[in-house]
Amino acid sequence: CGGQGWGGERRLPCVASLPICPTGAVNCQVSLRDLFDRAVILSHYIHNLSSEMFNEFDKRYAQGRGFITKAINSCHTSSLSTPEDKEQAQQIHHEDLLNLILRVLRSWNDPLYHLVTEVRGMQEAPDSILSRAIEIEEQNRRLLEGMEKIVGQVHPGVRENEVYSVWSGLPSLQMADEDTRLFAFYNLLHCLRRDSHKIDNYLKLLKCRIVYDSNC
Amino acid sequence: MTPGGRIFASMCAWMLLSQAIQPCYIFLHSSPPVLSFTLSKEQGSVANTQNKVVHVPGQTRLTSQKLPGAFSFSECLIHFLWEEKGAKMKESVVSTVVFILLLFLNTSLLNGQSPPGKPEIFKCRSPEKETFTCWWKPGEDGGLPTNYTLTYRKEGETTTHECPDYITNGPNSCHFNKKHTSIWTMYIITINATNQMGSSSSDPRYVDVTYIVEPDPPVNLTLELKQPEDKKPYLWMKWYPPTLVDVRSGWLTLQYEIRLKPKKATEWETHFAGQQTQFKILSLYPGQKYLVQVRCKPDHGFWSEWSPESSIQIPNDVTMKDTIVWIFVAVLSAVICLIMVAAVALKGHSMVTCILPPVPGPKIKGFDTHLLEKGKSEELLSALGCQDFPPTSDCEDLLVEFLEVDDSEDQQLMPAHSKEHPGRDTKPAPLDPDSDSGRGSCDSPSLLSKKCEEARVSPSTFHTPEGIEKPENPPAKVTRTRDPQSTRLEGKIPYFPADGSKSSTWPLPQPPSQHSPRSSYHSIAEVCKLAMGTGGASATPLDKTDTHALRSPKTTEPGGEEEAAERREVESFCSKTDQGTAWLLPQEKSPFISVKPLDYVEIHKVNRDGALSLLPKQKENSNQAEKPCAPETSKEYAKVSRVMDDNILVLVRDPQAQSLAAFEEPDKEAPPSLPQNPTGEDLAAFASAPSGCGLQLGNTTEYRKRTLLENARECG
Repeated sequence: CGGQGWGGERRLPCVASLPICPTGAVNCQVSLRDLFDRAVILSHYIHNLSSEMFNEFDKRYAQGRGFITKAINSCHTSSLSTPEDKEQAQQIHHEDLLNLILRVLRSWNDPLYHLVTEVRGMQEAPDSILSRAIEIEEQNRRLLEGMEKIVGQVHPGVRENEVYSVWSGLPSLQMADEDTRLFAFYNLLHCLRRDSHKIDNYLKLLKCRIVYDSNC
Repeated sequence: MTPGGRIFASMCAWMLLSQAIQPCYIFLHSSPPVLSFTLSKEQGSVANTQNKVVHVPGQTRLTSQKLPGAFSFSECLIHFLWEEKGAKMKESVVSTVVFILLLFLNTSLLNGQSPPGKPEIFKCRSPEKETFTCWWKPGEDGGLPTNYTLTYRKEGETTTHECPDYITNGPNSCHFNKKHTSIWTMYIITINATNQMGSSSSDPRYVDVTYIVEPDPPVNLTLELKQPEDKKPYLWMKWYPPTLVDVRSGWLTLQYEIRLKPKKATEWETHFAGQQTQFKILSLYPGQKYLVQVRCKPDHGFWSEWSPESSIQIPNDVTMKDTIVWIFVAVLSAVICLIMVAAVALKGHSMVTCILPPVPGPKIKGFDTHLLEKGKSEELLSALGCQDFPPTSDCEDLLVEFLEVDDSEDQQLMPAHSKEHPGRDTKPAPLDPDSDSGRGSCDSPSLLSKKCEEARVSPSTFHTPEGIEKPENPPAKVTRTRDPQSTRLEGKIPYFPADGSKSSTWPLPQPPSQHSPRSSYHSIAEVCKLAMGTGGASATPLDKTDTHALRSPKTTEPGGEEEAAERREVESFCSKTDQGTAWLLPQEKSPFISVKPLDYVEIHKVNRDGALSLLPKQKENSNQAEKPCAPETSKEYAKVSRVMDDNILVLVRDPQAQSLAAFEEPDKEAPPSLPQNPTGEDLAAFASAPSGCGLQLGNTTEYRKRTLLENARECG
């Protein structure tokens, strides 16, 4: 449970085994280690789903269309200044990194919701893509909650304004032109794959740094 | 030209056709549309199979396959095949345009120089998600030295950069170090090939380092065979992540997989090890050499190559000591087997007969198979011997029912009786002397003695309060079932064979006994019990004070008191007699009561009225046969003359009379007391006189026989 769940499986591995606070408990605090373990599991799972969804879509709809050439610098979260390599990531203070993660997660609430709606409306919507989209949306919400708990423990008291990037790609998803619409989906899935990988990587960095004192 | 059809063919890229790489596009415009075409050298011959026709609106674009090298391009026939309303027609058009272009091509080929071919990036890889390298494959160089450059552009930037490092990873590679590597960023990479004749560029390749991570194999794989006490040994292996990968900070998270196999095996046994860097293998074949490899995979990346093989030798289970022991055992077994085989070979026959004795064939005494073969039945039967049936010879004595009195026998009977109490197994012969049905043939002496012993062994029930045993029918006697509870008595006197268990049909082994098997012995005590019991008198033993009273009847007795006197006599007699003297018991079924040993008395005489006169005897060893004292009177009845019908013993006077041994079968009557004689005959309680004097009786008198005389004394 948990240890071998990295084969890209669709099931969320063994989150239920982690300790939880009984409902209504006020002073219950799940340990930071458990919170991070849970968060890492979720982020890893979300990225696996995103990766599979993108590959499926690419194989089915995007062959020979050269979408990749156009999906450059087209993610709505690129305005968020995220570290681009290990050194940059290690230089950021963990509180800032946590906030960054929160921002990225929040930025995806809206697009994920619409993604589900629009994929459903697609003609001959493949079930594999739709089911994954639904799953990602749900898990993303849970990860956000977990991250807010972690922030509450690591950096209590300070609550920043909710900053996130606004997504404006909805009209493109609803375009009549098939090519344009397909590209909009492609781009969204491409950005989702990338951002979920970013979140997963940041969280693992933070976990090793905070919980294991950089000695994973 | 076909009716209504027009073909306009123009050639494109004939230049490239000579390279045999690029497809040749032939643009046609024809009506009706062309279905397929073939390129052939000469008219009439078919060079290619049909080629694919791609319909693009407005034009018919035909793509041909690579033409075989034999083409000289001097002429090319393009056969067009189209279908018009069910009719297939062929039209071959020799394109003049083609001809011109081909001429141009040929001149180029004759020179052998051309611009470089298009390179191709075939692999980009990052070993640790911090740097990456791309490798390309150059195209044809066109015979001229060609220069290759790699240029790239990053996502979000507009400037184009050149590869920073062409050397680190070999020729035709470009290595991007940490400074030049950005994660989550798209790189657009292009290779440019340039030579004198021209240049060519590869297709741009879009690379995101995030998704091209493939680490090096794990390092320092060590194997160790651990052997804990009392447990089976196991293989313990340890390795380290590849040196470049940063696992400690969490930048990459690795999972491992190991595989192992015995050196000679073909299939690997693979195990997933998760994120741990050690592993245990428990099931190992001893005596084998194992090879082990390990590899790793980052989260969201590719599996590394397998590490170099490590090997380890598993020692054998069996120690030298065990081997020696087993060799010894094997040699010993072989020797034993050889010995057995030799023995069988040498003495096979005798061994076989020893182990498997030959089954005796059936033999009938006197049966002559030869006679049977001859078929003479008469002779056969006579040869059989015509034995009488039932067989009589040796067993006559057993079947005859008569009483015989024998001195020696009595003496022998005495000890036999004294030692034992009457066994439970009382089986006298049946009443009917002639009924010998069921009686077996002669018994072997050994069997008789065996029975005798058994009787001695089980003395009991003498005093059993239960019913008196009744001798069973002859058939049951053979089985000698001891059944103290058997209550077949019907007023019969208890029956106690001298040797206990012995069946009454069999004679006693010790004496040359002529006794009827129906004889029974009793001790005086039993007799007395019965005697006393019959009259309803208490079974209390009388003391010796009654001796005097006993004497009294010596003289005359009033008749009226006979009965009582006799009873008294009996009682007193009983009180004095030793155990072991025989009494005639009243025939009744009464439990024996333990009576104190009584003295022997001597029957003095029998009165006219049939009363017994008893003489006290000196207490002596009753087992011994004393020399007979001189009979004092000639009136002693000491000899049995005959046996009467209903088992009445007839005694006669005999100066040299010997003591009697009276055997009789238990009567069915149960006269209360000895002196009583409903038939008017005298009854006498016989007692063995220690002094040897026998019974002194008067005239021949018939006595009812009820008991066995157990001790005989020789008078005289």
